[in-house]
Amino acid sequence: MAPEPAFLLHRRPYRETSALVDLLTLDHGRVRAVAHGGQRPGSKSRQRLQPFTPLFVTWQGSRDLKRLTLMESRGQTALLAGEGLLCGLYANEIATRLLPLELPASDVFAFYTALLEALPAPAERALALRRYEWALLEALEATPQFTTPEGSVLDPQLRYRFDAATRAFSPAERGLDGRTLRYIEQGDWQHEGLANALKAVMRAALAPHLGSTVLRSRELMLDLARRRHRP
Amino acid sequence: MDAFRVLPGVGPKTAQRMAMHLLERERPGGQRLAAVIQQAIEEVGYCQRCRTLTEADICMLCESLRRDDALLCVVESPADQLAIEEAGGFKGRYFVLHGHLSPLDGIGPESIGLDLLEARVAEGLVEEVVLATNPTIEGEATAHYIASQLAEYGVKLSRLAYGVPMGGELEYVDGGTLSRAFNGRLPFASE
Repeated sequence: MAPEPAFLLHRRPYRETSALVDLLTLDHGRVRAVAHGGQRPGSKSRQRLQPFTPLFVTWQGSRDLKRLTLMESRGQTALLAGEGLLCGLYANEIATRLLPLELPASDVFAFYTALLEALPAPAERALALRRYEWALLEALEATPQFTTPEGSVLDPQLRYRFDAATRAFSPAERGLDGRTLRYIEQGDWQHEGLANALKAVMRAALAPHLGSTVLRSRELMLDLARRRHRP
Repeated sequence: MDAFRVLPGVGPKTAQRMAMHLLERERPGGQRLAAVIQQAIEEVGYCQRCRTLTEADICMLCESLRRDDALLCVVESPADQLAIEEAGGFKGRYFVLHGHLSPLDGIGPESIGLDLLEARVAEGLVEEVVLATNPTIEGEATAHYIASQLAEYGVKLSRLAYGVPMGGELEYVDGGTLSRAFNGRLPFASE
C-alpha cells in the first residue's frame, strides 16, 4: 500500500517492547495496529510515535489488528501546551471512543488536522473543536436535525431540548432558543454569541454515543477551571 | 522457569538458561537471590513524604539534613529520580508521581498522588517546584496540571529545558527537539 497520512491517537505498551497504537488515518478512519519495537526505551520509532505528530504509515493485515510496517514523520509536531494540549487530548479521546475501527472518515481527518493548527491560538480553539465534533457526528451519521421530532421547522420564539432518540429538538421550558438553533443550522458558526449554544448542541448530540463512562480529558479541564475560579 | 518470565527482556529460552544455571552451578547464589527478592518485596514500600521506593517510612533523601527544602523536583518514576541524582548538581528534595496523567488510560490526578504534592507545597517550605516530568505529551499535560494546581500557592515553577544532547550532531537531532532548543536558546557569553 502507498504510505497513508495518519496521526497517533493513543498508544499503550504491548508485550515487551511493542506498542498497540490507535491511528487516525486519511482514508481508513481509525486503525488499530501493533508497532513492533515501538515501546523500546530510546528507540527512534518510540520518539516519533507521539500524539499530534503528522505521520506517514503503512500496515499489513486484514483483521482488526494490523501490523505497522512503516512509520515516518511528515512534518512538525504541533507545539501544544497547557489548555491547548488538554483540548488535543480531548480530541483524541473522543475519536478513540466514538469511531468504529476502519469506518472511513476523511472529513474527521481534515478537521482534526485543522484543529491541531488552531489549538495553539486560544481564540480559535472553540470553533475548531466544534467543527471537529461535527465531522465526527457526520461520520457516525448522528448529526442533529434542526427540526422538531415531527419534522416541522423550529419556532424562533420557543425553547428546545435535544432529543437523542429522534436526533431532533423537542420543545422544552428551559433549553436553547429556536432562533439560536436556526443560526447554527445555517452554519454561521463564527458568530461570537453562538459559542455556548454550539457547545451545548455538540455535547448533547455526542452524549448518547459516549455512554455512561466519563471523558477523562474533559474532567481534567473542568477540574482545572474549578480551581481557577475558587475564591 | 515460568517464574523468570515476569522479568523484562526474559523470554522462554533465557528463562530456561537462568533456571538451569541456578540449579546446576549456582545453588547458593540462587538461595541468596530468593531471600533478597523475598525481603525486598516484603519490606520496600513508598516513602510517606516523596513516594519513592524505600525500606523505611521516610526515605534517606527526605531525612537528609543537607538537602534544600525550598527546592522540590517532581519526577515520574524512581528511575528518573536516580538519573537526576547520578547526574548531580540538584540539592533539593524530590516528589515521585509513579506515572503521568493519561486521560485515555483513565489515569487521573488522584492516581499519581497529586493531592499529596499539593499538601506538601501547602506546608509552605517549598519555594520552587521543578517540573521534571518526561518531555512527552502526557508528561507535558501532567506539568500543566500541576502548574495550575499549585498556582494559588505562589511558588516559583520551572520546567526542564529542551536541548541538544552533549556531543551530539545537529544533523541527527530530531526536528521537535531542535525547534524547541532554538526557541529556548540562551544568551552566549564568552569570557
